[in-house]
Amino acid sequence: MSNISALKKDMESCSRCSHCKWVPMAQIKSSRFAKICPSVDYYHFHAYSGGGKMIATNSILEGRSELTDNVAEIIYKCQLCGGCQVSCLAYRDDIDLADVLLESRSKCVDEAYVLPEHLDVIESMKREDNTLGMLKKDRGNWAEDLDVPNINTGKVDVLFHAGCRYSYDEDLHRVAVNWVNLFKNAGIDIGIAGKDEACCGGRAFEIGYQGEMKNFADDMIGRVKASGAKLIITPCSDCYYTFKYLYPKNGLDAGIEVLHATEYAALLMKEGKLKPRKNVDMKVTYHDPCHLGRRGEIYRSGWTGDDKLLRPVRFKQSGMLGIFDPPRDIINSIPGIDFVEMERIREYSWCCGAGGGVYEAYPEFASWTANERIEEAKKTGAEAIVTACPWCERIFNDEIEANAHDIKVYDVVDLLFMSF
Amino acid sequence: MGTKEDLIQIVGSDNVVTDKCILETFRSDLSFHEGETPEYIVKPKSFDEVQRIVWLANEKGFPLVPCSSGGERFKGTTIPETKGAVVVDFSSMKKIVRVDRRNKVAMVEPGVTFAELQAAVEKEGLRLEMPLLPKPEKSVVASLLEREPTTCPKYNWDAIDPLCCLELVLGTGDKFVTGNAAGPGTLEQQWAAKQAQKVSMGPAQTDIGRIIQGSQGTLGLATWATIKLEVKPSIQKCYLVPANDLEDLIMFTYKMLWRKLPDHCLILNNINLSAITGVDHSGLPPWVLVYTISGLEYFPEDRISYMEEEIYEMASGFNVQPVQKLGGVSGDKLIGLLNKPGKAPYWKQSLKGGVKELFFLTTLDKSSEFVTIMHQKAVSHNFPKENTGIYIQPIRHGTGCHMSFNLMADFNNAEEKDKVKILYDDAGKAFLEMGGFFSRPHGTLVDAIYSKCPDTVLALKKVKNIFDPKGVMNPGKLCFGEEV
Amino acid sequence: MKLLSKDMYKELEDAVGKEFVSQEPVVLDGYAWQPIFNLTNQKWTPRPAAVVLPETTEEVQKIVKICNKHKVKFKPHSTGWAAWGSPSEEGELQIDLRRMGKIIELDEKNKYAIVEPYVCCAQLMAEAMKKGLTCHVIGAGPNTSALASATSAWGYGGTGLSTGYSGRNLLGVEWVQPSGDILRLGSPGSDSSWFSGEGPGPGLRGLMRGFAGTQGSLGVFTKIGIKLFPYYGPKEPKVDGVLLDVQVDVPETEKMFFVVAPNFQKYADITYKVGDAEIANWFTRSTLAAGPELFMPRAAKKIYKSKPIRSLLQTFQHQGVILLSSVSKREVAYQEKVLRQIAKDTGCVVVDLSQTAGYGFWWWLMGVRSIPTALTFRAGGDFLTSYGSPVEYDNAIKQAEVATQYKQKYIDKGSFFDDTSDIGWGGIYEGTANWGHVEMAAMFVRSDGKASERMEYLEESAESTVKQTLGLGLSNLPPGSWKIYGPMLNNYHLWQARIKKALDPNRVGDEEWYVPPIDELEP
Repeated sequence: MSNISALKKDMESCSRCSHCKWVPMAQIKSSRFAKICPSVDYYHFHAYSGGGKMIATNSILEGRSELTDNVAEIIYKCQLCGGCQVSCLAYRDDIDLADVLLESRSKCVDEAYVLPEHLDVIESMKREDNTLGMLKKDRGNWAEDLDVPNINTGKVDVLFHAGCRYSYDEDLHRVAVNWVNLFKNAGIDIGIAGKDEACCGGRAFEIGYQGEMKNFADDMIGRVKASGAKLIITPCSDCYYTFKYLYPKNGLDAGIEVLHATEYAALLMKEGKLKPRKNVDMKVTYHDPCHLGRRGEIYRSGWTGDDKLLRPVRFKQSGMLGIFDPPRDIINSIPGIDFVEMERIREYSWCCGAGGGVYEAYPEFASWTANERIEEAKKTGAEAIVTACPWCERIFNDEIEANAHDIKVYDVVDLLFMSF
Repeated sequence: MGTKEDLIQIVGSDNVVTDKCILETFRSDLSFHEGETPEYIVKPKSFDEVQRIVWLANEKGFPLVPCSSGGERFKGTTIPETKGAVVVDFSSMKKIVRVDRRNKVAMVEPGVTFAELQAAVEKEGLRLEMPLLPKPEKSVVASLLEREPTTCPKYNWDAIDPLCCLELVLGTGDKFVTGNAAGPGTLEQQWAAKQAQKVSMGPAQTDIGRIIQGSQGTLGLATWATIKLEVKPSIQKCYLVPANDLEDLIMFTYKMLWRKLPDHCLILNNINLSAITGVDHSGLPPWVLVYTISGLEYFPEDRISYMEEEIYEMASGFNVQPVQKLGGVSGDKLIGLLNKPGKAPYWKQSLKGGVKELFFLTTLDKSSEFVTIMHQKAVSHNFPKENTGIYIQPIRHGTGCHMSFNLMADFNNAEEKDKVKILYDDAGKAFLEMGGFFSRPHGTLVDAIYSKCPDTVLALKKVKNIFDPKGVMNPGKLCFGEEV
Repeated sequence: MKLLSKDMYKELEDAVGKEFVSQEPVVLDGYAWQPIFNLTNQKWTPRPAAVVLPETTEEVQKIVKICNKHKVKFKPHSTGWAAWGSPSEEGELQIDLRRMGKIIELDEKNKYAIVEPYVCCAQLMAEAMKKGLTCHVIGAGPNTSALASATSAWGYGGTGLSTGYSGRNLLGVEWVQPSGDILRLGSPGSDSSWFSGEGPGPGLRGLMRGFAGTQGSLGVFTKIGIKLFPYYGPKEPKVDGVLLDVQVDVPETEKMFFVVAPNFQKYADITYKVGDAEIANWFTRSTLAAGPELFMPRAAKKIYKSKPIRSLLQTFQHQGVILLSSVSKREVAYQEKVLRQIAKDTGCVVVDLSQTAGYGFWWWLMGVRSIPTALTFRAGGDFLTSYGSPVEYDNAIKQAEVATQYKQKYIDKGSFFDDTSDIGWGGIYEGTANWGHVEMAAMFVRSDGKASERMEYLEESAESTVKQTLGLGLSNLPPGSWKIYGPMLNNYHLWQARIKKALDPNRVGDEEWYVPPIDELEP
């Protein structure tokens, strides 16, 4: 059941300053790339902004308006990128905007305002343990040629969790394969779950089916424990967010450390276990995936009060502890690379457009959002956008091809491989 | 009772002029315009008298034409357009009500001239922002209401500057005080509360002062105004930057304004510089940028010296050379001239006796285009280049500039006068087409100017109807030619 | 819930496209939530009957004409912050101008830009900085519309000493009047560029605003020329962080100092002298005592309980921050020399802030981008402000003295958080002009049940501003204020009412924050 009523005070605290529509004021570098919220920038009415969605939800809670199909659409037309929350929390201590967005979706599901495209995802998750409508038996295909242990047959130190899209998206298989080979070659005792890997469940939670996540989490936790692994590595930023934020926030604890592949690689580099050698003469920019960046910030647990005005700042989910530096450290360590930043980076990055169920339900909106980012990347003069999330990579690739943009997309591991 | 008796009752018989010869002088001026002879001239001495005159005009339906400055008049603003007019001559309202050193502001009645006010503010260690060498009898309030440009763009933030607040009798006869002088409280109470009537905005959500400014007496009459003053420099230095081509000065001027270094900052051609200084134009370069820098209360020499160094360095980057003496004109002499009102004869008339000034607003980067067209027009009308004085005055920190062409001729010579008339019209219309903005419409170009902005005319007529519903204030001026 | 007639709704759809009109209740409630300057102490405001999103001036004109045809009131807003941005009664049309967000031109040489309503100050500033220019930003912050500040609102920005006052920075204006007629004020009205707002003849800018604007009551401003001002810092500074964590490398020609005076009088003295000496880029009284409430609100509750710390904070009560800025070391050295001498002469102390490691935060957030005001929301989620007329600075300081006493009374009652009742902030504007403001902000939690006390405070502060300083406080122009202040100020409301009648014959402009037409006031 949605816990939206518990957030009423957050909603009522909105002053309508509209910071949630903009990149934090200190970071606006141009007129062109000053916005943070794809939803309000595409659909324009205030109700589409972070603050506007809080007002809308509060309006429903107060019985001023009703939840209708149209209202549910407003709630679903949002990538849950969390940009609004970063801009809001820069000033405010008492509003957990992204939680309101999540809970309002849960309320929609509670009251059966659901989208057919999202139902497909949920059906696929229930039936085949993945979000993509693929068969469970094919989940391990990506690793067919890999010579790594399967945790079903033996214990490992490190479990590599590929995630749904890297597992099924053939264009992206190379990313998962390359990461595993890279870690293996660095001497890491790494294993995979192959066809027995299942979805993390995060996508279900995001599109409002909060209860579904628990089943996947329990499954995941059981599998990890059985593997004996002390560390989970995932290249997928959605899974990372689920492990780091959604699980602990919902009391689901695997009792094991989780790192994103870029985090782990950066660590290995520092320890001298990975060393890029070959020159890669390329000008690149880096796109922070929302769910690895600001939303990848570990859940700041431990505060249980009612009045968020009294909540110490260290419990504020400001987004600044997300994973920003490891991918940059890796890119910068590659000889020959000319690394340039876009205007909107780190916790105030612009979303790729694919998150929050938008890719499935509102492809035009997703596509527009991605193109905005591609334009921003092109303005840097970079030859390629480097990123670290299969959803970002998928949508950027699609849009670049569809619109004949003169720019490429790489995963961080692609650059590393070029350098080895 | 007749109008004359009514007026006598208000201002006393000594202050109602009926002498035909004097009245006749208002029928025309040095503009090319001829109007009607007024019936009377009245010389009020107080707000109350002015208000009663306006009430009377409303009651009896006669037109009022305000006039504040003495000496010769050039723009035709004070020429009645209709019969039966009464000229309201403010020259008897000569009080300098207050000079406030701390807040750098003075309050003056409309009869106070630049020469009078300048002397009063200097005593307080202050400086008066003036137009370029105004005629000595020029009324400060009239100049402020006319939105005349001043010579230090650094101190000029908004178009209304240096005008602050106004006490007004509106065309309806109502009193209205603008800006923070409006209240609460009387002036005396405000002074006691450390206020000084310096903020021009309001009161509330309207700027009636801004509406009155530029209205040429068509909406109301001012009975005092406050004017923003500046600190009198303890040292001043004036530099001249010569150029053969106006374009060579423009970017340097922009840069200086961006750095906020100069106080006075203006560009003159050799004809105007000659008219101002009395030095023969043939020994002067075609264009001169004139600027001053100053030392104030603290470490004045240090200020002058760093500014000199900064400007010299900048100048070398623009291939220009600031000098303190140029072809018989010294910076020191120019400082003396720029800091005081002009002397008789009025500098614009010094060359040929007659002058017609064609002025408008534009931006510095477009000024050369206007000069080129003026020269072409002058050639086509066989008007000598040596008789065209040009003055370019950056305004509002350099956001725009006032551009003025003084067409100098002997107006006693009908042929010369006609030539000026035709050139004025022809060049004026060309400038209008080029985007020159005639924010202060005068003379024969008024219709052409207003034909460019029919929406503004419509709005102005609504405004006229609000502030002067009976049409008694200087009727026929601006776009108020027809019945409103 | 009041709806528009089907005909009118259809006409609006035809004017702007179906996807840009809505009467969905939830969407409309997005425009009916305005806690700030909502003097009813409510958060909800009347729900509009529909909302429309025009993209061009022509579309705005069509919308306004449709409103005239159907005699339906409208309220436009740009970034839409505060209660005046929303309709004052149900059944009105909300015009949301957020699709009009272009910087149409930025004229580097002539230092102005032409902007549409939804350009926020931070956007304009970011583009202007690249050309060595900047813009004025009102205290509410750079998230506000540059156009709305200049045309329609009031507000003071900390950098006003070098960037003026929004209402005076206007140049050309494009204005869809309540009748639907388009009026271009000044030079653009005569097919010239946008460098001038007055004429030909009278300055009609005076119709649209005074020291305050009409808060969207008198039509829609669709484009303006706006003055920009020299900016001498780095064109694209490398800024890390988003607010309190901001770090920037600041060039040595940008120096900031704390100026501490022993009392109100000396603070006024040094301020006058700084203005006269033409040395500073900005100079604003800031409040050290409110610092804990802004920067560490939870700790503040404990800090203010400590008498020794209170005494320490109050020792620095008369404090301002000054920025010296230039492209030249020589110039800044001269400015600093003068500042130190002025301080000596006036018995004040200057402390160099630019030597500290965290200086970049102060320079960038306060000195350039005018950001920190929004921190007033941190402590309790809400704040209000009072006092602070635009006046000669001696009087502004007098207002500060008065304000300090009155606010303390309400702190004692618990209506506001304790911040030692130090005066909020405010400085001198327009270089040598000696006028400025000092306003009193107060922080609170809206849901604390003390609303009526705060209303009482607002009334008392308004009254005491008038009685003791002959000024009009910032909170003094709420709906209906003309009834009190009109008679005190030459019956200004009657002139406004005549303007209303002339420009809005069908009475379609929402007049809550303005005045009714004259025939209602003088039947």
